[in-house]
Amino acid sequence: MAAHSAVKAINTPEITEKARRGLLQLLEAVSALGLLASEYSIDRKQVRGKKNLVIERSLAGTIGLFVKFSTLQEYGVDKIFFLENHNVDSSQRNIIFLCRGESAKTAQTVAEQIKLVRSESQTEHEFTIIWAPRRTRVADMVLEEQGALGEATIHELPLHFIPLEQDVLSLELDTAFNNLYLRKDPTCIFASAQALMLLQKQYGLFPRILGKGDNAKRLADLLQKMRSEEDVNAASDTNNSYLTSFGLTPSSVIEDLIIIDRDVDFPTVLSTQLTYEGLIDENYSISNNQTEVDTSVLGGAPAQSQPPNGTTQAPTGATKRKIQLDTTDKLYPSLRDANFATIGPTLNRTARRLQSDQQDIHKQDQSIADLKTFVSKLPTYQAEQASLKIHTSLAEDIMRITRTELFTSMLEVQQNLLAGSDPTAMHENIEELIARDVPLKTVLRLLCLESCLSNGIRSRDLENFKRLILQAYGFQHILTLANLEKTGLLVPRESHRGYLNPIGTAAGQSATDWNAMRKGLQIWVDDVTEEDPTDPAYVFSGYASLSVRLVQCVLQKSYVYNLVNQPKQPSSAPTGTGWKGFEDVLSRIRGATVDVVQKGHDADASHARKTLRGSKEGPKLSLVFFLGGITFAEIAALRLVSSQLEEKEGRRLVIATTGMLNGGRAVGTAVEEREFGA
Amino acid sequence: MSKATADWRRVGDRFYRKTNLYTSLFPPDLELENYVVVGAPYSGAIALYRDESQIFRSNQPGVKANIDIYSCAGTLIRQIPRDRSQGTLIAVGWSEDETLLVVTEHGQVKTYTDLSPDFTPFTLGHEASSHGVKSCRFYSTGFVALLGNNRFVSVPSYHEPRPQTLAPAPPGEVISWAVIPPEHTSSRSVEVLLAVDRTVHVVDAAECEDRGLQAGPFRHIAVSPNGKFVALYTDDGKVWVISSDFQERFSEYDSRVKTPPKDLQWCGNNAVALAWEDEIHLVGPSGAATKFEYDGFVHLMPDADGIRVLTNEVCDFLQKVPDETEEVFRLGSSSPASVLVDAVEMLEKKSPKADDNIQLIRANLDEAVDVCVRAAGQEYSVHRQKQLLKAASFGKSVLDLYNSDDYVDMTEVLRVLNAVRFYEVGIPLSYDQYIRLTPERLVQRLVNRHEYLLALKISEFLRLPVDRIYVSWAREKVRSSSTDEDTIVSSIVDKLHGQRGISFEAVARAAYDDGREKVAIQLLEHEPRAGKQVPLLLKVGEDSLALDKALESGDTDLIFWVLLNLKKKMPLSTFFRTINSRPVASAIVEASAIDQDRDLLKDLYYQTDRLVDGSNLLLSESLDSSDVNGSVDKLKSSAKLLRDSKEHAAQVGALEDAVKLLRFQEAFEKDLGGEKFVGLSVMRTLGKLVEGGSMKRAERVRGEFKVSEKSFAWVRLRSLVKRRDWRELEELSKQRKSAISWEPYFNEILGAGNPKVAALYIPKCTHLAVNERIEMWVKCGLVKAAAEEALKAKDRGKLEELRGMATGGVGVEVERMIGMLGKGR
Repeated sequence: MAAHSAVKAINTPEITEKARRGLLQLLEAVSALGLLASEYSIDRKQVRGKKNLVIERSLAGTIGLFVKFSTLQEYGVDKIFFLENHNVDSSQRNIIFLCRGESAKTAQTVAEQIKLVRSESQTEHEFTIIWAPRRTRVADMVLEEQGALGEATIHELPLHFIPLEQDVLSLELDTAFNNLYLRKDPTCIFASAQALMLLQKQYGLFPRILGKGDNAKRLADLLQKMRSEEDVNAASDTNNSYLTSFGLTPSSVIEDLIIIDRDVDFPTVLSTQLTYEGLIDENYSISNNQTEVDTSVLGGAPAQSQPPNGTTQAPTGATKRKIQLDTTDKLYPSLRDANFATIGPTLNRTARRLQSDQQDIHKQDQSIADLKTFVSKLPTYQAEQASLKIHTSLAEDIMRITRTELFTSMLEVQQNLLAGSDPTAMHENIEELIARDVPLKTVLRLLCLESCLSNGIRSRDLENFKRLILQAYGFQHILTLANLEKTGLLVPRESHRGYLNPIGTAAGQSATDWNAMRKGLQIWVDDVTEEDPTDPAYVFSGYASLSVRLVQCVLQKSYVYNLVNQPKQPSSAPTGTGWKGFEDVLSRIRGATVDVVQKGHDADASHARKTLRGSKEGPKLSLVFFLGGITFAEIAALRLVSSQLEEKEGRRLVIATTGMLNGGRAVGTAVEEREFGA
Repeated sequence: MSKATADWRRVGDRFYRKTNLYTSLFPPDLELENYVVVGAPYSGAIALYRDESQIFRSNQPGVKANIDIYSCAGTLIRQIPRDRSQGTLIAVGWSEDETLLVVTEHGQVKTYTDLSPDFTPFTLGHEASSHGVKSCRFYSTGFVALLGNNRFVSVPSYHEPRPQTLAPAPPGEVISWAVIPPEHTSSRSVEVLLAVDRTVHVVDAAECEDRGLQAGPFRHIAVSPNGKFVALYTDDGKVWVISSDFQERFSEYDSRVKTPPKDLQWCGNNAVALAWEDEIHLVGPSGAATKFEYDGFVHLMPDADGIRVLTNEVCDFLQKVPDETEEVFRLGSSSPASVLVDAVEMLEKKSPKADDNIQLIRANLDEAVDVCVRAAGQEYSVHRQKQLLKAASFGKSVLDLYNSDDYVDMTEVLRVLNAVRFYEVGIPLSYDQYIRLTPERLVQRLVNRHEYLLALKISEFLRLPVDRIYVSWAREKVRSSSTDEDTIVSSIVDKLHGQRGISFEAVARAAYDDGREKVAIQLLEHEPRAGKQVPLLLKVGEDSLALDKALESGDTDLIFWVLLNLKKKMPLSTFFRTINSRPVASAIVEASAIDQDRDLLKDLYYQTDRLVDGSNLLLSESLDSSDVNGSVDKLKSSAKLLRDSKEHAAQVGALEDAVKLLRFQEAFEKDLGGEKFVGLSVMRTLGKLVEGGSMKRAERVRGEFKVSEKSFAWVRLRSLVKRRDWRELEELSKQRKSAISWEPYFNEILGAGNPKVAALYIPKCTHLAVNERIEMWVKCGLVKAAAEEALKAKDRGKLEELRGMATGGVGVEVERMIGMLGKGR
């Protein structure tokens, strides 16, 4: 897809490289101490001190995105442990902890581990704690209370955005959705603000910040606040060079930042994604660009030609295999964003092409020159062949699942709800699904979808469903249901939640009028083309995510306008920037609307910057930030938008988010996993 | 004007010069020999204190009980009182950012930053306090202390001091010792050289190694500023210079003096200075030496590029004559630069020789200009600076192309240097020291000396940020003003307002430390960064204001930190009341308490009447209990919380059902021997009972929990299929009605691989279309029955289709049926 063309404006490889260097430098710093322990070394500079690395589980995959395990070994890492179960051993004198600093619980665990190792081990240990992305007061306080603060050398690893792809930046905060919507804990908003500030420092102020949702507003406010604080900080920070304190000027690369608060658009998350990548995520779960699949599924498919990039974990048991899903794969980039219905034909075509290539090779009469070109193509060819085998097996396995009766009846309910048909007509189907004991998450997703789309379920129906769920899946799910209600995913309909409610919150609408959305933004498209798609609705075979439509409202005004007003002449399409032309629709969506223009302190400086950059007309881009998580289907849809924009105006999208999300994960955070008597 | 070379001394093949910086420093009655004098690096302040190892009359006039800090010109900057309660003072030292360190015998260390009389203490640890500190050696960023038991404690940084003990040293009297700073060692951590007995040992964190020298005992050890060389003074009056890895010996010098020198220090990296009472020997490379004699007692203060010499009368700077200076001024020098300087002199005398000179060096003129510019930087005398710059300027004018940046920079630097060398300021920086110190830190030093105006002027001149100067000024203003609070605040705000990047928090902190809380709070109002306001507000006791400011900042770490602090200092009920009106605070407390402190959460829910949350918490606890009775107890109390309110009737019902279910399951486990039931849901319990054939029990559970017909039908069907109870399934097919229609029966049974039984259900699926039923027959492999179905519906097309599938006798049958249809037509 076009979106994969090198995104030079925001240099994502550079971000990766920076994170890598940061970590390795810290490890090297510990090596210097480690040297003292190696008594027999003759030339001390040659030896890198050995150390054990204790890593928070959720960080391990993230680290794996930019450092290979072998590299860590080169830097003296002997063994890697996860920070849990008190499993740290004392085989090395140096022990490094690498954890997220925001959680008091993690700090507590680190402190306990240090105390444990200290009390059990004979040797004197050197402890180092690396907090990502920052050292926090709370962590210091916890360590101090536990008497471990003086024991350890403390570093920071400013790990903010990690590029998953050239056009996707992620904070990889697994718990963002849970914390933000269930616990109402705004930690991830602050983390996002910090990460975005860092981008602003590098590329200049976002000239315009647009957004929808109450949390989006919070984030935008924080960004502005941080900007004013940054001035003071830059000046009073002794380590800062003076240049940065001149204040930020508007960027000439990034045109706008569009923040979408996830709770503006829960239905998209809850829906089952129908792109290839989306379905892999739904069925096997993708984390950190990797998925784990039973070897039986892959059959005899050979290992990927490139060894999996940077796995920090030891290989798991023989039954599971890790598959790297990113642009290093030969075929994946062309498959990932396609609707699953079109995957079969694409794979067939590729197979045929490869076969004809192979026949070419086996042709008898070839000149030496021909042979030479073949040989040079051979590695690519083999890689493609391997990749083809993997994806064919994966697609077959997914096909097996999507063909089941349960999947189709689930999808039928989902599509009907999304299309806006009467939800009560679907109740019987959902009841049957419960009776047939489909996984709890599937049922919950459908119920939540209904609740979100119709602003709650009629309380009598909801009570009935609750009873069925408790009977079918266990009474512990009283907690699950309470969590879902707190998250706002599954709520009883209240008479005063209508969109015309005069006591709506001051910040904005408290509920979205989905019928108005279907009309005003055409979020359901009946005649969607899945092959060579033109509308983002293709990723859900008909449903165009509200989130993506919102982005289009900013960037593709005339497209959305024409879509909605098909019969009329497309002459009066709205012009202007920001939300202009769609204020009406926006006012019917829950949550605050954000529209901020950021100007530099110094008009001259920003002008100078503009003229400096202006000479080499760089590609303009818009940054879309999904606060609370994004689904692969939305990424696919946004890539379509991006490629259309690039064709027309030469601008592109870069997608940023707190982490990858899908319906299973969103609902899963609420699900009570414990059982009675366990 | 004296000649430039007047102060030069030849040592071997090099020249050294003694520059007089300042005169009449201390009153003559100050007996300098009774004082310890320590100078900060880069011509910084001088700390002076009474040497307690010498006996003196305490009431003697002029004897001071303080640590006095002087500038190099002898101006008193600060007096720091000595607190004798914490033991005898052992050592005083400076770090490179002019932080004063005071170490007492029990290992107490006080750090005085920015020349202020306020200090932060830390201790060297248990071992130091029990064995006592003997002496200390300081380097740019840290120091090492020698303890009474011959162990060393190293403090590598003062930012977060973390004393580390080094490897144990051999026993015996330590005659002398020195440290190699971490930046000069291969291990990147500090190393200690110590002379014990007749040899020298090297100690680092891990090991102690004997260097195997035999010529000891060594009275003095000194490490050169670049860490490459070590100077040793032997008992028989010799000075050895060896490499710091003890592999090479460079020179030896015999002082021929019986008494060992009072002090031995490096002068730059290539000469060693030995000091006796009033005499200094300067030993250059290859053992050549020269002597300097003074009128009074001398103190040596080594710096990176030379050595400062201090007596009551004078402050001198001893250094190797810089190469460029030597090139210009050395007698008989014919270097281009020297010729250029001559030419300017000729020009002033209006002699035509000037042009001759220029023509002579025409080819090397640009080099000559460069040398003159650099040499100007090395001069202390303004006259000679001018002379050299004039020469450079003249040479420049003759050149067609010359980049004047260096020249301009040098004039700027010299203006700054001359300003700070002025005796009232008293910072006699050399050019090299200035470059190493950096302009920013020079400004900081001026601020430390309260030279605010000069600091501001220099900052503006060099285009450096000025905010810190203002903040410092304001802090001092707060401390020193005795006027009422409002005036102080307004005078500070007036001055600082409109300046970019001012940290009011720093000023407020100073006010707070000074005990002026009201001023602090008022000043904090002007601080733009919420994060900075909070800690101080908390200290002042403005708890809820601190919490609000933290919330405003959006920094969850800060909010949580404030909350933790508040929780500690408030009664629980007040704490709850405080967070209750602030949803974000309350959410953060809850989020962390779920992981860490359930009791707190219980109290919170109880105090704030959140019944459902409280009940859910108990439910969650019941899940943690591993035995049924424990779970049941918790469940009961969970239900009890909600029983009084009608709106939660459904949840109470569910909780009671949960108890009931657990009791049932317990009973089943007993009755059905070994089967595990606890933990299963109602439906799965039913499923398991049906699967095990306990239909009666299943019926009872079904009735007890009012399981709907449909649900029950499904679970019975699936369990029977799982059990492969075809007989029972055949029985079921005889029933008249089904709650879930008959199709699922067909599908499930066929899916389990029994087409025979599945087929029994096909005729019952009357609501389906004929075609679907035909399809079902075919799926069961019963083409004949399918054909009969088609015949009934008179579907000729279908029949023909079926004929294709049929084989053998069935084919004939189908053929016959097609025939029958034909007849019928």
